[in-house]
Amino acid sequence: MIKGTVKIASEICKGCELCIVACPQDSLQLSREINLRGYRYAELKDDNCTGCINCALVCPDSAITVYRMPKKSK
Amino acid sequence: MTKEIRLMKGNEALAEASIRAGLQAYFGYPITPQSEVLEYFAEQAPKRGFTVLQAESEVASINMVFGAAGAGARVMTSSSSPGISLMQEGLSYIAAGELPCLIVNVNRGGPGLGTIQPGQGDYFQSTKGGGHGDYHLIVLAPSSVQEMADFVFEGFKLAEKYRNPVMILTDGALGQMMEKVELPPEGSLPYVRPEWATTGKAATRERNIVTTLFIEPEVMEQVNIKLQKKYTEICEKEVRYETINCEDAEIVLCAYGLSARISQKAMDLAREGGIKAGIFRPITLYPYPYEILNKLAETADHFLDVEMNAGQMIEDVRLGVNGKKPVHFTGRMGGMIPDPEVIYQEIVKIVGKK
Ligand code: SF4
Ligand code: SF4
Repeated sequence: MIKGTVKIASEICKGCELCIVACPQDSLQLSREINLRGYRYAELKDDNCTGCINCALVCPDSAITVYRMPKKSK
Repeated sequence: MTKEIRLMKGNEALAEASIRAGLQAYFGYPITPQSEVLEYFAEQAPKRGFTVLQAESEVASINMVFGAAGAGARVMTSSSSPGISLMQEGLSYIAAGELPCLIVNVNRGGPGLGTIQPGQGDYFQSTKGGGHGDYHLIVLAPSSVQEMADFVFEGFKLAEKYRNPVMILTDGALGQMMEKVELPPEGSLPYVRPEWATTGKAATRERNIVTTLFIEPEVMEQVNIKLQKKYTEICEKEVRYETINCEDAEIVLCAYGLSARISQKAMDLAREGGIKAGIFRPITLYPYPYEILNKLAETADHFLDVEMNAGQMIEDVRLGVNGKKPVHFTGRMGGMIPDPEVIYQEIVKIVGKK
């Protein structure tokens, strides 16, 4: 299994929540803080991201970058 | 340049369309969810040669629009609900002075400072006055990013034809939403400096004056009579609307802008469930399409008004239907968006079958 993580550009995010709906892992949520425009932005909630890139694909404003790393073998 | 297809945010499409429509000056003040308009202009102005200025407030921007319009410039401003409230005095002056200009309201949830999420609570303010005195704006309500662009051209045309301020009333979702948009080529809306423009007295003509102060009531009344004549003509000639599946509809959903799009989904759900639903979407909110509503009331059994407010346009729907059939309401407030499934449930409840 591939482990992943996301970096979300909080000043670009408009809080539309499309990524939150699209994430099969339920890894994302809206922040409690707001950005400069006043929007709550998407952020990683749980560290269970698989790096599937669904969220990055649906984001209309290309605010998400997905990183993948191979899981360390035991 | 021919037509061009781009993927854009509603606010950006509107700004780009304005430049292509030959915008000469923009005065505005940032406010979410419409700041992209000002940002886009600020970025493009040096390259494309028009004036863009961030004023010190909305009050200042609307008065700058007043001045530029008086000089005959193709001019606009944009803001969102609380900012538009601040502009109401200036709007009344511009309407009284019979000056063409474009105002864009990217409606957010209110009242008060409210929220930055989309709303339709400014319907009364936009269509019934807002400022003081007997005046009207022509109000256009887009329901897609494409229309955000198209109505800029429509808006300038109407404003200049009738020497009247035109408002594009949209909302935070349409402003932030990204969609495919087809843009007309630059320079496709010809501009001629109007004869009445206050550009300095030439030896060849009388002095041009723009004023909204008429101390003698006899004169003020004449100004009003002239304005009312113009509004009557606008009501006769410029009503625009769209109807979908209304021919056989037992229930007609009445909605504008974003609500109309959401209602389309609800209509599809109803049709799948065996209920004949249709949509009536006013495109001009002033002048309002009363006549077609009255005609629809001959064939449909129910009307369901869907809005993102506590029920404002419903008053106009009632005026159109004029007691012939019951008019119902469903909606969300304060920046919340109606769910098509909930609208569908409402339809089922009203029609009384599934
Ligand atoms: S990459 Fe996939 S799993 Fe990770 S946050 Fe995005 S949608 Fe969720
Ligand atoms: S889809 Fe993009 S803009 Fe929308 S909430 Fe997620 S990161 Fe933000």
